[in-house]
Amino acid sequence: MYDRIQELNQNDFSRIHENAMDLLKNTGIVFNDDEAIEIFKKNGVKVEGKTVFLTEAQVRSALEKAPTKFTVKGRNPAKSVTIGEDDFVFAPGYGAPYIIDGQGVQREAVMEDYDTFCKLIHTSKYLDMNGWMMVEPSDMPPSTVHMDMMLSNFLLCDKPCMGSPVSRQGARDGLEMAAIAFGGKEKIMDQPVSVSLINSLSPLQFSDEMVGSLIELARHGQACIIASLIMAGASGPVTLGGVATLQNAEILAGITLAQMVREGAPVIYGSTSSAMDMKTGALSIGAPALAKNINITAQMARFYKLPSRSGGGLTDALFPDGQAGVESALALSTAARSGINFILHSCGILGSYIAMSFEKFLLDEELCGMLRQMLKPLDFSDESIDVEMIKKVGIGGQYLTNPKTFKLCRTEFFLPDLMSRSNYDAWSVAGKKKIHEVADDKLSKRLATYEKPDIDPTMEKELTEYVNRRKNE
Amino acid sequence: MSDLNTITQSLISGDIDSLLEQVKAALEKGISASDILTKGLITGMDIVGERMETGEMFIPEVLMSAHTMGEAVKILKPLLAEGESVSAGCVIIGTVKGDLHDIGKNLVAMMMQSAGFDVIDLGVDVDSDTFMKAIEEHAPKIVGLSALLTTTMPMMRETIEKITQSGKRDSLKIMVGGAPVNKEYADEIGADAYASDAGSACKLAKAMLK
Repeated sequence: MYDRIQELNQNDFSRIHENAMDLLKNTGIVFNDDEAIEIFKKNGVKVEGKTVFLTEAQVRSALEKAPTKFTVKGRNPAKSVTIGEDDFVFAPGYGAPYIIDGQGVQREAVMEDYDTFCKLIHTSKYLDMNGWMMVEPSDMPPSTVHMDMMLSNFLLCDKPCMGSPVSRQGARDGLEMAAIAFGGKEKIMDQPVSVSLINSLSPLQFSDEMVGSLIELARHGQACIIASLIMAGASGPVTLGGVATLQNAEILAGITLAQMVREGAPVIYGSTSSAMDMKTGALSIGAPALAKNINITAQMARFYKLPSRSGGGLTDALFPDGQAGVESALALSTAARSGINFILHSCGILGSYIAMSFEKFLLDEELCGMLRQMLKPLDFSDESIDVEMIKKVGIGGQYLTNPKTFKLCRTEFFLPDLMSRSNYDAWSVAGKKKIHEVADDKLSKRLATYEKPDIDPTMEKELTEYVNRRKNE
Repeated sequence: MSDLNTITQSLISGDIDSLLEQVKAALEKGISASDILTKGLITGMDIVGERMETGEMFIPEVLMSAHTMGEAVKILKPLLAEGESVSAGCVIIGTVKGDLHDIGKNLVAMMMQSAGFDVIDLGVDVDSDTFMKAIEEHAPKIVGLSALLTTTMPMMRETIEKITQSGKRDSLKIMVGGAPVNKEYADEIGADAYASDAGSACKLAKAMLK
């Protein structure tokens, strides 16, 4: 198969790998967590203070233990997902502090916004998983908001979701709540029910919150994405080759720790590194460098036989406009086509992660649907080609009234919910609506028909009580 | 009434076999051909038209319903009383001289047929003389002119002028359509109506004849 963007060859894989091994062995990497340091020491790893020096053998041994693919169970088991090899998921935007509304006005996100995203994800035709911290609710106490978000994840949506990696205690709270939602800790120990995002602190560090969360989550059988977000030219080298090497060292170090905590811990090789904008010093996630790095990430993960994670519908635009559409489509389609297994930020992000937009969410969601359709294998069977039918219609005939056209008219092609296919007259009569306005109309209709998924009332009560109890401690 | 209701439903779902059986059964029960036509089939096609407009039904489904209707009408036609017409009127349609595009024109023809019009399709590359000959022969209520090219659009004007000169202009309505055509152009060349797609062409045709 020929693809102009899949450019890494065996020699490149080896060079990125060997140079990363050089970094881990000779420069080392910092883990700001005492238990992590103890675990590394116990496994015979050379440690100086908080700096860990890993050998290739230690990394390779960890890689051998990590699964190539795994399933994540949803509260509704029918919605469970598989991540790895040919299977992939679309997950929503993550970590935005603001909402940019349909008029282009930015405001602090609140819990109600978070809940609205849970409802949209629950009713989404194309998103496979719920996220976590789609927005950061500003109206809740920061020390306990992770539990409010977890509670909404379990009550408002029954798809598999992401987990809470805010701190060691934050991860424990998420685990306790997952145990309630899935009928006991023993039920989740060997069956991941969450995927949490563990980020390195580039260059070559992991913060205490992230390491603490990683240890707790891996110990309890929960999946973790070990990801690096390097700003090329700022927190990492200016060349993408250098970025690929540096992030590889960071990701592999995190994965090695996870496997030392628990053999076979499900992990995902992740990166959403991109370029620094040289004029402003800001991160640019609409840059071609982002898409390029998505592809490198997918290829490196395959080289190590690991599932991969990248960003998705990402943009620097501050409104769901043309720029947002172009940048998001390039990044999301690169992720899907490169074989990324966990496509985070598939829907909703605006302004280099600063905000989520409900209108943009719907727009990106449609893009997810279009990509799914594009990736669906074509059927070249006799029945599909049906040359006898083509002969029968013959020269100059038509297929409009052909029974096959009738039979397949709802299923053969993608049916858009937002994209306009009207002619000028129809578009004018309908008010010359731009796509964000169409999305806005759909949004209110969709939320009006939302129904909360079924949950055992005892389970709901236990979850709520857990959150209330912990808040009062 | 439930028999007629089932007939309406079978028509909407384009289920020919069931519809023909149901029509025959209704006749055997003594329901009149006229009632089956107006309260069963035409009611059904009205719903199909509405659903097409809202996007609930797709073009191939509408055409299938229309085809299904045509098959049922074949059974009913001999049984209808004298003077009771199935037809909403005669429509002559064609792509104008110099233009060989016919997908859109065909679609309009099929949609018109499904709405109960008798459609005479003159095909593509039709000169004004051919249009005139057909008008004299069939005395249509509507003439539809189609063009996809800006270079063949002037042939629409020429055809309309020819019809006007012949003295037949007041006896019929002229509709124009095609991707580059718009309302302003239709007004400029003296057409009665412009429709931007097959569904609205059909709706407009019915409205004009009311």
